[in-house]
Amino acid sequence: MPLSKDELLKAYRMMKTIREFEERLHVEFATGEIPGFVHLYAGEEASATGFCMHLDDRDKIASNHRGHGHSIGKGCDVDAMMAEIYGRGNGLCGGKGGSMHIADLSKGMMGANGIVGGGSPLACGAALAAKQLGTGGVAISFFGDGASNQGTSMESLNLASVWNLPCIFVVENNGYAEATSSKYSVACDDAADRASAFNMPGVVVDGHDFFAVYEAAGEAVKRAREGKGPTLIECKLNRYYGHFEGDAQTYRGKDEVKNLRATIDCLDRFRAKVTSADLLSEAELDVIDGEVAALIDGSVEKAKAAPMPAPAELLTDVYISY
Amino acid sequence: MSLDDHAPSIGILANPAAGRDIRRLVAQASVFPIAEKRNMITRLFSSLGMLGVGTVYMMSDGNGIADRIRHALETPPPSDQIWPKVVFLDMPIEDRAVDTLVAAEKMVAHGVGGIIVLGGDGTHRLVASRAGDVPITALSTGTNNVFPAMREASIAGLAAGLVATGQVPVGDCAVRNKVLRVDVNGVESDLALVDLCTSTELWIGSRALWRAEGLDQLFLSFAEADAIGLSSIGGLIRPVTRAAEGGLWLNLADPASAPIIVTAPLAPGLMIDIGVEAVQDLHPGEAISLRAERGVVALDGEREIEFSQTDKLAVRLEWDGPLTLDISKVMTYAAEHELLHRVNAN
Repeated sequence: MPLSKDELLKAYRMMKTIREFEERLHVEFATGEIPGFVHLYAGEEASATGFCMHLDDRDKIASNHRGHGHSIGKGCDVDAMMAEIYGRGNGLCGGKGGSMHIADLSKGMMGANGIVGGGSPLACGAALAAKQLGTGGVAISFFGDGASNQGTSMESLNLASVWNLPCIFVVENNGYAEATSSKYSVACDDAADRASAFNMPGVVVDGHDFFAVYEAAGEAVKRAREGKGPTLIECKLNRYYGHFEGDAQTYRGKDEVKNLRATIDCLDRFRAKVTSADLLSEAELDVIDGEVAALIDGSVEKAKAAPMPAPAELLTDVYISY
Repeated sequence: MSLDDHAPSIGILANPAAGRDIRRLVAQASVFPIAEKRNMITRLFSSLGMLGVGTVYMMSDGNGIADRIRHALETPPPSDQIWPKVVFLDMPIEDRAVDTLVAAEKMVAHGVGGIIVLGGDGTHRLVASRAGDVPITALSTGTNNVFPAMREASIAGLAAGLVATGQVPVGDCAVRNKVLRVDVNGVESDLALVDLCTSTELWIGSRALWRAEGLDQLFLSFAEADAIGLSSIGGLIRPVTRAAEGGLWLNLADPASAPIIVTAPLAPGLMIDIGVEAVQDLHPGEAISLRAERGVVALDGEREIEFSQTDKLAVRLEWDGPLTLDISKVMTYAAEHELLHRVNAN
C-alpha cells in the first residue's frame, strides 16, 4: 500500500528525531555529565522506523544496547528518555536504568538490553503471550550481527518456529560486533541465511533505504498477524559512531565514516525521494527539522535541570514481586 | 600445479547477493547459499583446467565467495586435477551491483575467452551490459530465472573451456540475444534481457515485483509458456521464442475489468491473476513511449528506475544483446568431432 502524506511525514519525523537525539547525545556525552555508557544508533534510523511504522499498541519490541532508535520508534517519550540517560529521577525508568536498560512497558518497549542476544527470548515470550491471548499483536526483536551468533538468538529462532510465533527477528548488521567485522565473525554468508535452518523465511534488505525496510517489514508483520509464523530480516546498514561513545574505532578504515555520511544517509535518501516525487516539499521537511531540533534542545535542558533520584529511592524499582 | 600464463583465460562472475531478496518472504523462493556457488566454481575449475584454460579471473567481493575460493585453493585439487591459476581482480569492493559491472569490464580488458556467470536474470543483465562480444555461459543461481538455465557446472565449464581454448568455434555455438533498452529523457539508460515492466509503485524499495496491483506495461524480448516471473504473462498468451525476430508488449490492467486474465506464476509458488488489456508485437528498433506518468521501471523483475512526471521514457527491442553459449550445441560439436574421447592404443 502506498504511504499517505501523513505517514511519510511521520516516518521522516521519526527518523529525524532519532538522528537528532543521537547527534546531541554524542555532544553531551563528551561533557562528562552523562553517567554510564551510550551506544548510538545514528545511521541506522531507517531500520527502526521502517519496522515501527507498522506497529501499534498491541505490539511489543525487544531492543539491545543500541536501543534509543527503537525506543523512539515505539513511541517512548523523548523528554523522559533523555532524563533517563542523564540518570534523573523523572526519567523513563526513574533514572536507574540509563541508556542500556531504557524501557517503557506501557508503550510495548520491553527494554534495551545489556546482554548481547538477550532480547530475542523476551520477544518470543511476548509473541507467545500475544498468540495465547489472541490479541493479534506481534513482537519484534532488534539485535546486531554479533548477537546473531549467540545461542539465545538460535534458541529463539528455533522456539519461534516450533511454536509458530508472531515474532520477527531483525538483524541490524552494521558490519561490526563491537570491533570485530561481521565478515570475519559470522560463519554463514548473511545472517538471514540462518532462517532456512529454522524453517522460516529469511531476507536481506538495504537498511539505509526506508522504503525497502518498510516494504519487507510490512510483509513480515502481515505474515505474523495472519498466524503464518516468524520471519528473519537482515538489514544491512552502517553506524556513524563507534560501538560506544569513546570508542577510538581503530578497526575502521580511514575516512570510512566520513564517506558513509557523505554517500549513504537514510535521511538524505528519504528527502531526495519524496521531494523528487513531489510527495513532500523541502519546506515541509524543514519545518520538521526545526521542530525536532527544538524538541531535543528542550529535552536536554529539562534533563539537566531535573533532580537526581532521591537516596530513599535507592532500592525501589530494582526488584519486582510477582 | 597451474597451467602457464599464456594459456587461454576465462572469467567467472558469481554474484554473492543473488538469492536473498524479499521473494523468500512473499513467495516460496529457494535460498541458494554461497557454499553451493563455491562448489559450482570448483567444478568449473576442474573442467577448465582439464581443457587447458590457464587463468580464471574472478570478481573480488566482500561477501564470501572470494574467501571461500581462496580457502579451496589452499588445498590440493582432488584426483590429480589441474586447476587454472585463479586471479582475483584488483578492484574496489562496494558490495553493490557496480562491482559486477567493474568486474565484467576488467575481465573483458584481460581478453578472456568467455565469462561464466553464476546468478539470476539480474546478474546476467549486468554482465550483458559490459561483456561486448565475449561469450557468456549462463548458469542460474537466482530466483525468477528465465535467461540463465539450471545446468551442471561441470558441463558448463567444459563448454566454456572448449570454446575459450578454440577447440569449438564460437561462431558455431554462440547465439546473439535480444535486449530491451530503456531511454530516459532521450539518453540510453539501462537494459533488460527478458522483461521490462513499469509499475505505478513509486519506490525501488525491496526491488522485486510480486503484486498485480500497479503493474502497467510489460515489454518482453521473449516469452516462454513454461517460464516463471513476468515473462510468463506473455508466454501464456502468445509465446515468443528467443530466436524470433520480435518481442511482445502488453498493456496490463485491473483483472476486474480487463478482457483477458492470466494466472501467472510471478514468483516461485506465487500464482497471481493479471489483467491484460492488449497484446502487441514489439518490432526491433521501434521505440515505445511509456504511458505511466510516474512510477518505477523493473528490469528483469527488479525495480531499478524511479521516474516522475517530468521524465520521458521509451523502450526499444534491439538485437545487440550478449552472445551466449549454447551448451548443448558445444557438447554436441565436441562429440561429433571426438574432442573428449580417444581410441585406446593399448
